[in-house]
Amino acid sequence: MKVLVAVKRVIDYNVKVRVKPDNSDVDLTNVKMAMNPFCEIAVEEAVRLKEKGVATEVVVVSIGPKVAQEQIRTALALGADRGILIETEEKLESLTVAKLLKAVVEKEQPQLVLMGKQTIDSDNNQTGQMLGALTNMAQGTFASEVAVDGDKVNVTREIDGGLRTVALKLPAIVTTDLRLNEPRYASLPNIMKAKRKPLDVTTPADLGVAMTSTLSLVKVTPPAERQAGIKVGSVEELVEKLKNEAKVL
Amino acid sequence: MTALTQDALIERLSAIVGADKVRTDADSLETFGKDWTKIYAPKPTAIVFPKTTEQVRDIVLLANEHQLALVPSGGRTGLSAGAVAANGEIVVAFDYMNQISDFNAVDRTVKCGAGVITEQLQNYAEEQGLFYPVDFASAGSSQIGGNISTNAGGIKVIRWGMTRDWVAGLTVVTGQGEILRLNKDLLKNNTGYDMRQLFIGGEGTLGFITEATMRLTRTPKNLTVLVLAIPELDDVMKVLNQFQGSMDLTAFEFFSDKAMRKVLARGDVPAPFDSSADFYALIEFEAVTDADMDLSMSLFEQCVENGWVVDGVISQSETQAANLWRLREDISETISEWTPYKNDISVVVSKVPPFLNDIDEIVTREYPDFEIIWFGHIGDGNLHLNILKPDALAKEEFFERCAKVSKWVFEIVQKYDGSVSAEHGVGMTKKPYLKYTRSAAELAYMKAVKAVFDPNNVMNPGKLVDL
Ligand SMILES: Cc1cc2nc3c(=O)[nH]c(=O)nc-3n(C[C@H](O)[C@H](O)[C@H](O)COP(=O)(O)OP(=O)(O)OC[C@H]3O[C@@H](n4cnc5c(N)ncnc54)[C@H](O)[C@@H]3O)c2cc1C
Repeated sequence: MKVLVAVKRVIDYNVKVRVKPDNSDVDLTNVKMAMNPFCEIAVEEAVRLKEKGVATEVVVVSIGPKVAQEQIRTALALGADRGILIETEEKLESLTVAKLLKAVVEKEQPQLVLMGKQTIDSDNNQTGQMLGALTNMAQGTFASEVAVDGDKVNVTREIDGGLRTVALKLPAIVTTDLRLNEPRYASLPNIMKAKRKPLDVTTPADLGVAMTSTLSLVKVTPPAERQAGIKVGSVEELVEKLKNEAKVL
Repeated sequence: MTALTQDALIERLSAIVGADKVRTDADSLETFGKDWTKIYAPKPTAIVFPKTTEQVRDIVLLANEHQLALVPSGGRTGLSAGAVAANGEIVVAFDYMNQISDFNAVDRTVKCGAGVITEQLQNYAEEQGLFYPVDFASAGSSQIGGNISTNAGGIKVIRWGMTRDWVAGLTVVTGQGEILRLNKDLLKNNTGYDMRQLFIGGEGTLGFITEATMRLTRTPKNLTVLVLAIPELDDVMKVLNQFQGSMDLTAFEFFSDKAMRKVLARGDVPAPFDSSADFYALIEFEAVTDADMDLSMSLFEQCVENGWVVDGVISQSETQAANLWRLREDISETISEWTPYKNDISVVVSKVPPFLNDIDEIVTREYPDFEIIWFGHIGDGNLHLNILKPDALAKEEFFERCAKVSKWVFEIVQKYDGSVSAEHGVGMTKKPYLKYTRSAAELAYMKAVKAVFDPNNVMNPGKLVDL
């Protein structure tokens, strides 16, 4: 079974995000970039399926600038077999990404597409669902467990107030949630091996997808600064303040 | 000189700092009377919280007038019982002197009250697009005054040096109650004895630091972390040489498998790899270009070919770098559960391999029934050797047995011309062993220096050196 994994290059989860002074966007100059954490989980799951003998080939695809090859190489070091970069300097929107992924799906014919439930930069949580609509494939979102069973995949979904397990007919799309697995580190020997794994570069034009934009970014503002706390002198004062000022008691 | 009654004492202190800045409740006495060593039972008389240098001076003058003992207290993360008040002392806590001010972008300096938390300065520097490089696991609690008074080192010494290297100027109150402003923040100032250096690492025995001008530096680029599995202790330093021969490192730390297993057992961070080895090295460097990355890979390959290293990982993101660091940084806190007996010893880097062998031999011979945890800033020649207390053994008996072996450990330190306290200072726990590192003549001069600045022995008496 072939598994396709989509990964995105985003601002590192650990970086303190700064907004540009003119509020036009997030400031990315000299900021560490890394693989989106949910995508990492998707790669890990694909590699585990391969280690279990369920998957035969893991293909990773990323859409983004040339340097996004770094994230593909990371995925290859984690155990994916081959990479595809759809190179573009354009700003990415979920629908365009879904269209591009659809083109890759048509070409590669994977049985399973694994992707993050959202990226931590735009937080949209919609690309997987859009790809489902465009390809007519079954979709299991927010997966915390994935078990392939013959021509089906059972996906345990994290939903409000509990878990829900759905059986999807393959080919299917699964988007990952945080608890699905704990991604491994790329080992140095595997990073070196990954350098020799194939990585094809293509463009949206090659895939016949126009990078038309339907959204414009109006304004980015940082969250309101937290107000400094105060020290209270006694339990009585605390209770008094909780009652009368915070009005939570 | 007249003795003060407790009430009169509180009154006099309150007159200096205000009644709300003097505490005598049991909780405060317990909390502010001890540091991380937890060997001595805290027993201070009162805790005062000055807000200005002048208030500190007045407290010191009062102490001189009535022969009171003062213990300066920072974040109390010290590991040598330097900030312990076990004999009815007055604790002077700098918590309210925590202002950061006078940032100067040209000089790259900033003024800190003694009570500024280390991490507060690190964050402040980051906000200015700069970097304060002194860092260690207790940076979230320790204070700049405490860091300076212990000349704290930490995990980046190999590249950025100790706290001493970042102090541009100091305001101190001497044991005589005099306010000195030392070095005027100058880079170059050859006008005789640099007294600033005496207060750095002085553990509050000569005077109290009330303010410091700290230097900042450029922010390192793309710090990248490697963790390597090394089966033989002997090979750790070979790996260091291999890497240092070709690139500038920002850190080279090591820890034993036993240390890492304890951290992993807490379940907060993932294991770096499936393979295990008796020792691990954590290497950090700035990966500015692809060439830096490629170089680190090829150095890794050479280490593997030479049979020193069996596995390794490299951080692919800051999150991973932070998690890999936690394997090393969480050790101290993790093992504190076992009331460890801590050794913080150092030799020059070139002597580390034979030194490690000698130490290893002694501890395996003398502590057959104790669990030994090795880790440390091995790239600086600094080893933290921790002996864990077996559950069944009482604290007193355990420390007694450890102290016996310490003598042998320190004899080895002496043989290799090393230090019995690399970065944790002397306080009370290392005081009996100073002679293994300092000559009798040196110790006599240290006493003499103490007598000059603190003739009445009111500044942290009983620590570091006796008058
Ligand atoms: C988990 C952990 C990890 C650590 N790692 C490291 C490490 O890697 N490297 C390292 O060097 N240390 C390390 N330490 C030790 C400790 O954190 C440092 O020594 C630190 O500098 C102590 O700062 P503090 O503010 O807590 O000082 P305290 O413990 O409060 O005091 C230390 C000494 O300074 C004196 N003092 C405090 N404030 C003043 C002042 N304003 N004027 C004069 N004297 C004063 C005290 O009396 C005492 O003698 C570690 C400690 C812990 C708990």
